[in-house]
Amino acid sequence: MIRVTGLRKRFGGSEILKGIDFEVPQQTVLGVIGASGSGKSTLLRCLNGLETINGGTIECDNVRLEASLSHRDYGKRVKDLRLRVGTVFQHFYLFPHLSVIGNIIEAPMHVLHTPRKKAETEAYELLDSVGLKQAAGRYPGSLSGGEQQRVAIARALAMHPALLLLDEPTSALDPRRINSLRTLLRGFVDRGHTMIIISHSMGFLAGVADSILFMEGGYAVEHGTTEEVLKSPKDDRTRDFLQQAE
Amino acid sequence: MWLICLCGNARAQQVLRWGADPSGGAPYVYTDPANPESYIGYEKEMVDALAAAMGRRAEFVPSDWETLVSALQRGSFDVIVNGLEPTGDRAQQISFSNPYYIFQLQLTVRHDDDRIKSLDDCKNRTVATLGNTAASRLLEQNGIPYRSYADPVGAYRDLELKRIDAVLMDVPAEAFYARNNPKLKPAGPPFMRGLYVIGLRKGDFELKSEVDEAINKIIVDGTLETILKKWGLWNQAQADFQGPIRAGTQKQTDVQEFTPTTSIFNWREALWRLTRAAAVTVGLALGSMVIAVVLGLPLAVGQWKGPPWLRLFCTFYVEFFRGTPVLVQLLFLYFGLPVIGIAMPGWLTALVGLGLNYAAYESQVYRAALEAIATGQWEAAYSLGMSPVLAFRRIILPQAFRIALPPMTNDFVSLFKDTSVAFAISVWELATAYRELANASGQFLLLGLAVSAFYLAMSLPMAHLARLLERRLRDRATERVAEQEATA
Repeated sequence: MIRVTGLRKRFGGSEILKGIDFEVPQQTVLGVIGASGSGKSTLLRCLNGLETINGGTIECDNVRLEASLSHRDYGKRVKDLRLRVGTVFQHFYLFPHLSVIGNIIEAPMHVLHTPRKKAETEAYELLDSVGLKQAAGRYPGSLSGGEQQRVAIARALAMHPALLLLDEPTSALDPRRINSLRTLLRGFVDRGHTMIIISHSMGFLAGVADSILFMEGGYAVEHGTTEEVLKSPKDDRTRDFLQQAE
Repeated sequence: MWLICLCGNARAQQVLRWGADPSGGAPYVYTDPANPESYIGYEKEMVDALAAAMGRRAEFVPSDWETLVSALQRGSFDVIVNGLEPTGDRAQQISFSNPYYIFQLQLTVRHDDDRIKSLDDCKNRTVATLGNTAASRLLEQNGIPYRSYADPVGAYRDLELKRIDAVLMDVPAEAFYARNNPKLKPAGPPFMRGLYVIGLRKGDFELKSEVDEAINKIIVDGTLETILKKWGLWNQAQADFQGPIRAGTQKQTDVQEFTPTTSIFNWREALWRLTRAAAVTVGLALGSMVIAVVLGLPLAVGQWKGPPWLRLFCTFYVEFFRGTPVLVQLLFLYFGLPVIGIAMPGWLTALVGLGLNYAAYESQVYRAALEAIATGQWEAAYSLGMSPVLAFRRIILPQAFRIALPPMTNDFVSLFKDTSVAFAISVWELATAYRELANASGQFLLLGLAVSAFYLAMSLPMAHLARLLERRLRDRATERVAEQEATA
């Protein structure tokens, strides 16, 4: 279970996140929507510790990151947080010098010190579940965008994260592939994973998210079940955004 | 009217242009320490006296000892007056005047060294001398390992610094540079007698007879004796030599009679020495590249991600080593550092100096490569729980290395050629070998071709490797794009 309370983030003089609160129950998917510049990406980067938060708390599993922690404790807590949170970046950022299997076993072997045999067995299972078992020996440069994304998902899941973050996962996919991604992600949720997905594709989120968070100007304007937010938004700003999105 | 007369006179008075090496050239000819714009020395005074006897005006052309003969042949000056010995090799290229001085050789060791009492004790020691002199030929003939120096100052300093075991030098130079040095002492008495003559272009018969006549004149009228006495160079050998001439019983000594040693140029020997020198060059290049590659990385990282003071230091290091000539750096390391007690042998100095210099270049190659790695790679590594050190070592460095490899190979090729500056600190590498062998034999063209062949044989495979790597990396990149387009 993920709980975010009063999350604030400032860049220089401008505040990008102005006190965000939400919860994501275990084994559910939260979709985050909002215009560019609303703070979605910054929220994601705060959740995986790439940005230092200026206020509030992030709780994930049993790790509690607080803005008020001392510099040293904060650093330790971020390390713990990163072990609990996996990220699939919009541009995947696979390691081009490592093969597909190498990308997946790199962190388990060198961060968790999993023996190579065990890491590889797990990696093959993950590759199988994303339908890329035959690509294990290939290099990222020779994979299509969709294949790279699935390797990135497998790479993140290999660390057994409590929460998986996906940034704009549909931006590089054609409609057919968007469908199969939805099936894939729902399959992982059924197996116990929890996710936060940023997306501009309402159709995609309608099929994959349990709840939706609409952000604007650094605020969490509306948060409800997917059906509520997409079909009958309470806030005018949400309604305007959804109308423009269609 | 007066003016025209003066000009006419000046034109009528012929010039005697003489060449010698004034660097470390005392007491022959050297820069006057009290008045650095003029030269002094017993040979300077002697040439002035000779010129006066010839009715000419002496004009000194500062030159380089190793290339005196070829400079004379090129016409840079008319005569060589630089303690020149009439050797068989030189006789093939130039002609000689009658002798004007009898020199002897003196072996010098450190004051606390009792192992060496004569040349016979030097079989397994390193002896230093000037290149292409009677002393170097004597050492060569006796199979004593020796190192050639460009001037006596460097030789005696390295003796003090224990880089070598002994110095064998003509007495005039020894008297000036070593006799009064309390850290050094003569090993045994002076030995062997040889002649100093004036070198002339072959076929310059008129000038030769003019010079011979002048030498005779300043010997007979005592001018030379006065000069030599003034410089403390008058001894029994001079008296024995000048006596008969002044008495008129003997017109002049026959040059050939005294010619001490002659080494005939031997191509097999030369190629063997070039091969050994090439091995030194390869060793130098490899060794300093290792230093550069290893040291370049902390420099690059320090300049890239370090705290401000470290960044400043690394930037200063890089700018210092890139902004000053590597030759100056080597001379500083070789001659400057011993002042504060760090005396490295020549090969080590060259290794360290080139390594430090190229580390500056390598660090910039690395930095560019490291900066070329997208921030996303760091973030992906962090989000997988990697520490900065782990991310750097496992993710960033291997990628940067691929980018840096082709420019590194290019740097290695140019480092390879830069090893030639080591000749300045008497390291016997390929360029030094060329200079010495060519000067000794006059075979500048053929030896030059041979040496170029050596360099190319070593650097072409490197250049080829660099191209191969570049092509492989480029092919892989285009292959990716092609496959992506095919699958898209």
